[in-house]
Amino acid sequence: MVELNEVFETNTMICDENLDVRTITMGISLLDCCDSDLDALCGKIYRKITQSAGDLVRVGDEIGLDFGIPVINKRVSVTPISIVGSSACRTCDDFVKIADTLEEAACSIGVNFIGGFSALVQKGMTAADQMLIRSMPKALSRTERVCGSVSLASTKTGIDMDAVKLMGTVIKETAEETKDRDSVGCSKLVVFCNPSDDNPFMAGAFHGVTETDLVINVGVSGPGVVKTAISKVRGENFEVLCETIKKTAFKVTRVGQLVAKEASKRLNVPFGIVDLSLAPTPAVGDSIADIIQEMGVEYIGAPGTTAALAILNDQVKKGGVMASSYVGGLSGAFIPVSEDRSMAYAAEIGALTLEKLEAMTCVCSVGLDMIPIPGDTGAETISGIIADEMAIGMINQKTTAVRIIPVCGKRAGDRVEFGGLLGSSPIMPVSKYGCKGFIDRGGRIPAPIHSFKN
Amino acid sequence: MNRVVVTLVGKDHIGIIATVCNYFAENDINILDIKQTTVREYINMMMIVDLEKCSRQFSDIVCGLEDVGKKVCCVIRVQHEEIFDMMHRI
Repeated sequence: MVELNEVFETNTMICDENLDVRTITMGISLLDCCDSDLDALCGKIYRKITQSAGDLVRVGDEIGLDFGIPVINKRVSVTPISIVGSSACRTCDDFVKIADTLEEAACSIGVNFIGGFSALVQKGMTAADQMLIRSMPKALSRTERVCGSVSLASTKTGIDMDAVKLMGTVIKETAEETKDRDSVGCSKLVVFCNPSDDNPFMAGAFHGVTETDLVINVGVSGPGVVKTAISKVRGENFEVLCETIKKTAFKVTRVGQLVAKEASKRLNVPFGIVDLSLAPTPAVGDSIADIIQEMGVEYIGAPGTTAALAILNDQVKKGGVMASSYVGGLSGAFIPVSEDRSMAYAAEIGALTLEKLEAMTCVCSVGLDMIPIPGDTGAETISGIIADEMAIGMINQKTTAVRIIPVCGKRAGDRVEFGGLLGSSPIMPVSKYGCKGFIDRGGRIPAPIHSFKN
Repeated sequence: MNRVVVTLVGKDHIGIIATVCNYFAENDINILDIKQTTVREYINMMMIVDLEKCSRQFSDIVCGLEDVGKKVCCVIRVQHEEIFDMMHRI
């Protein structure tokens, strides 16, 4: 029988510390929709998504009501569209038409994002991959809910530097296409090294080709819960600190496991994974930076930050792994600058820099995330930033990503307001020194020596 | 059995539990356990109830108890028991 204090502890987490289920994401394979006729393909895609996920939003809301926990987002991820559309699409505009179909399907079933307008080009680009990537500026600017991602590198294959160079241009063009909205189109575009096939979080979610036909993946959240827990052990040693994070992560993840199993049962779709990632929001008290600062670092970005983030990431995994039967996705701590109020403040006062963020991505689950940079940053410089981040992922055998926003017409120090969950941030300065000669070389960076394990 | 946890938080005064229990009786909801603490003038109460014989939808019960909460100037939450078992039991 549950005890009074346990019930009130859970409800305090939910009501006061922003514990929620961040997303129930249904992965849908579109491989069976492939057709050489574009109209037929789009018709099949629309029908498959609306028939498979028609009840997703209703069931998500019902589960939220039954357990008294907010289920914030209900989303869909699909098979990378460069594969699905490869035999039907002859031009970039053909891929844009598929993006329109995805948007229409997402609106019809009421999900706020649909991921998978993606290409996996870590070793090279097919003609279809290139067309999809080149269609991204148009596709992402004319849709509200479609998210795109490109895998540019992996530990097994190395880094496709031709694609890295192309993405620098594509990100600039996407920013230009949405310049009337602070270049927000780039917030729906992420590039990866070692991407996860079962990531439920946007903008990088896609349904991997090795996945089953339909699957339910769940992302939990709870930075506020972790922060409150460690505020009770202020001044204690690292053993106590780590144990506290671990126990809290266990509790948070158990809620995700419950919701994932319940969604799977009610939708009659197999349960995939729970993603353990701590995901912040711009809301007060829902910040990763606050956790790092509660550990004793004055502002996130100060010396000690990388070590603190490493502790957080590792303990969240250790606590979470035991709480769920299947853990996957990105599972760690997100550090999106504009989406985390305290992180944006640290950037504003100069405590947090792009270079420090890069160091932090060596120990956390994702990468350079939601970072607005000056609009006049060159495409080669953006490619250079991407290449650095891909190298970190490739060498360290981990997922890394870049979601960077060159905000048209704004300079370092100006402020940008994306609104909603995307938050706001100062424009962060970028090194004024270039890397054109490096990026222009083209070709592929070979896989590292430790990838040859066979 | 369809076990649900009902929690109530608010300023203590006469008749809170009576009002909530009346609602349960009117809706064929059986009370399995009641625990409460009072700190200064505030009451924290938890009830475990069984909805097995209740014919109304769970969402109606949530709304109904919200209204009861407003009547007694307390916040009442209704949740299926599994969330607490999952979080606090291995």
